[in-house]
Amino acid sequence: MAANLSDVRQLVRNQKYSAGFITDIEAEKVPPGLSEDVIRLISAKKLEPEWLLEFRLKAYRRWLTMTEPKWAHVQFPPIDYQSISYYSQPKSHLDGPKSLDEVDPKLLETYKKLGIPLKEQEMLAGVQNVAVDVVFDSVSVATTFKKKLAEAGVIFCPLSEAVRERPDLVQKYLGSVVPFADNFYAALNTAVFTEGSFVYIPKGVRCPMELSTYFRINERNTGQFERTLIIAEEGAYVSYLEGCTAPQRDENQLHAAVVELVALDDAQIKYSTVQNWYPGDEEGRGGIYNFVTKRGDCRGARSKISWTQVETGSAITWKYPSCILRGDDSVGEFYSVALTNHRQQADTGTKMIHVGKNTKSTIVSKGISAGRGQQSYRGLVRVLEGADNARNYTQCDSLLIGDQCGAHTFPYTEVRNPSARLEHEATTSKIAEDQLYYCRARGISEEEAVSMIVNGFCKEVFKELPMEFAVEAQKLLQVSLEGAVG
Amino acid sequence: MKLEAYRKAFEQLAAGLGDTPSRDSRRAQFERFAAVGFPSKREEDWRYTDLASLSEKQFALPADGGDALIPQALADSQQLVFVDGRFDAARSSTQQHIGNIATTETADDDGLAALNAAFASPGLDLQLAAGQVLAQPLHLLFLGSGSATGTMTHQRHRIVLGSGASASVILEFARDSADERLATHTLSIELGANASLRLYRLQRESAGATLLTRIDARLDRDSRLRALCLDAGGGFVRHDCNVTLAAPGCEAEVHGLYVPQPRAHVDNHTRIVHAAPHGRSREHFRGIVGERTRAVFSGKVVVQPGAQKTDSEQRIANLLLSKRAEVNAKPDLEIYADDVKCAHGATVGQLDETALAYLRSRGIDAATAKALLLRAFALEILDHVEFAPLRRHIEDILDFPDDPELDRLIEAIA
Repeated sequence: MAANLSDVRQLVRNQKYSAGFITDIEAEKVPPGLSEDVIRLISAKKLEPEWLLEFRLKAYRRWLTMTEPKWAHVQFPPIDYQSISYYSQPKSHLDGPKSLDEVDPKLLETYKKLGIPLKEQEMLAGVQNVAVDVVFDSVSVATTFKKKLAEAGVIFCPLSEAVRERPDLVQKYLGSVVPFADNFYAALNTAVFTEGSFVYIPKGVRCPMELSTYFRINERNTGQFERTLIIAEEGAYVSYLEGCTAPQRDENQLHAAVVELVALDDAQIKYSTVQNWYPGDEEGRGGIYNFVTKRGDCRGARSKISWTQVETGSAITWKYPSCILRGDDSVGEFYSVALTNHRQQADTGTKMIHVGKNTKSTIVSKGISAGRGQQSYRGLVRVLEGADNARNYTQCDSLLIGDQCGAHTFPYTEVRNPSARLEHEATTSKIAEDQLYYCRARGISEEEAVSMIVNGFCKEVFKELPMEFAVEAQKLLQVSLEGAVG
Repeated sequence: MKLEAYRKAFEQLAAGLGDTPSRDSRRAQFERFAAVGFPSKREEDWRYTDLASLSEKQFALPADGGDALIPQALADSQQLVFVDGRFDAARSSTQQHIGNIATTETADDDGLAALNAAFASPGLDLQLAAGQVLAQPLHLLFLGSGSATGTMTHQRHRIVLGSGASASVILEFARDSADERLATHTLSIELGANASLRLYRLQRESAGATLLTRIDARLDRDSRLRALCLDAGGGFVRHDCNVTLAAPGCEAEVHGLYVPQPRAHVDNHTRIVHAAPHGRSREHFRGIVGERTRAVFSGKVVVQPGAQKTDSEQRIANLLLSKRAEVNAKPDLEIYADDVKCAHGATVGQLDETALAYLRSRGIDAATAKALLLRAFALEILDHVEFAPLRRHIEDILDFPDDPELDRLIEAIA
């Protein structure tokens, strides 16, 4: 066993964050610092209309009066918001590629390395049927399958393009779910957001393929502030995937995104995330601060919003994908696997706000903490006075691997309606010795056995992920866990 | 100026103390309170309980010689009666275990603890030597006199049990008055190795009363604390119960039942810290929350690094019975050790329709059927009351129908 363990350790030492390379590409970056001038500059670069600039400035002015939230169970040195560059775009992108063929080959190579196919023919050859929007630092570099989507009436494009093409929709919905002054990071995002995806599914349309956005932070000293807006009209359906990586660096980089989902009558939105930002090294140097505001608004009756997330990356994760169940009979779901290893910290969970009648919500959260990782589930289930027959089921389990890590649960329930039924259950334990022993007795190595047990532990969440993502998530989990045992 | 009335009351108290060290330490505590003030809703621990209005209140210290109606004493117990925060020797069955521990330092920097320490009047001071066993439970009764309108009382209590000692203590808060009053109580508990303490806290204060109690317990090796909290009053109430399992092998049980009266606000905050290995903690709270009441439960279990083999369980169940009621529950777990078994669960729901239908189909009217089910729900907690006279007393307070025939029915359903 001793030999086996040292093998494992050896393996771990050689294990690298596989997405940690840097793409050497010339970029145009605004100098670090944040002021109204910088915001005007970003807005001008994006050729934005006046109302959007006003929206940004309003958020910025409010942001100046706000203080960083301190309640999360995470620790980090203060962030100097003046040392961040708020806009970076690859130089070759300045004229704007007309088609995929014109995209800088270096960029294409980057995504090839990451396993993200950008060439449509490549995708057709494979099993995938996914339209991808690719965001590199502050700009979207390519969106695939646009034509096919357009035939179905689906709009899937970078947000900046949507501002130009469909200002009516953007103006109507932007900031309607996450108000500009919602919280410190949302206000910051509203002031400086640079890119993100815009999805519009018209009435009664079932989006013919999975939509996906791939985010990449490349430049040093930049922050990524993306903004995603998804609107599903009456009876529409869309499944959206999001993936993220960043180079391996010793400094911390800030990622403060805002995601807004709007589901009208009978609409369904399924939002899946595989978050693999650079988590920092074993000693906790570097890594991304992932401070994200995600919220879905079930505005229509019988609408449904489902969040699935696999969080393996980031030095610090601060993220609570939420559902506002406004429409009668609407449904909110949250499935999460969060893994913290080494010195990663995660404070993540969800909020389910029951407003309409007969609203249902399900929360399944699986936390795995290894090494010196600290992990918290923080959730709120609120049932308002008018939400007759609201129903919630919450389950959050934590798995501890090693005696230096921590797992915490902070569930809030606030009920004001006597017909509501809520259940919350949580357990925390380590990997069962008998299960490990069983596997080992059958010739399965300790490392493999742990990975197998952990995968079983997360199965309930993985089955909610689209096929390709489920496979990726399992692999990610395996890699992230390596070095956790022994 | 904010807290003005408190300062006035304090100066009055200080004048009576003369030039003593006690006065100086009290003054230091008061200044600390004046600087920090009452906790605000912005503090996480006070999120659901707003004490802001207390700052503006004009509470005075009660005059001497208040008189209250003394209820019949519980059988087989020693009674200690306090009226308006003062020990009433004549009405008590024992003079022992009373002491002034006002000058002892307070546990932490909480403004409320400082307020309590600044004004503290004598309370329970139970100290048992190693191996000593208290023969009968001590029943502390806190009453208010009719003349003490608009007053505040603050008391500090202490229980120190030597190794192997054992005791039962009942704290009953029963001020019966419609006008506004404030009372704060702090109780510090130290249990020596293998000591055992049973603690019952009963609250049946009436509307208008504001009661803030806080228990800090520290458990040494293999000691046991069993606490039961019952809230059946109509006032504005906040209880803090902090238990530290400081040495290996400790056991803590903290159970509670809240059945607040209309317009009441009941907030139970517990914090159980496992600081050593092989600790066991159990927590089970149940609430029956009706018309215009607000119930809060926040329980935190912390397993510190190294506290391996901890076994902890926390259960909260609420019955929400009215449109104008509110339940806020928050069972927290903070775990820094891996070889532990920790579970918690919280539910909010209603009476089981099928059980109601079953009872009604057997000729029991709706009101009785409902009361029966409520009692069955409450029994889960009341079964932890081992002292029979107290159990009867509690059932009298709760007033669920008590009929052996029906008891059998309940068992049949269960």
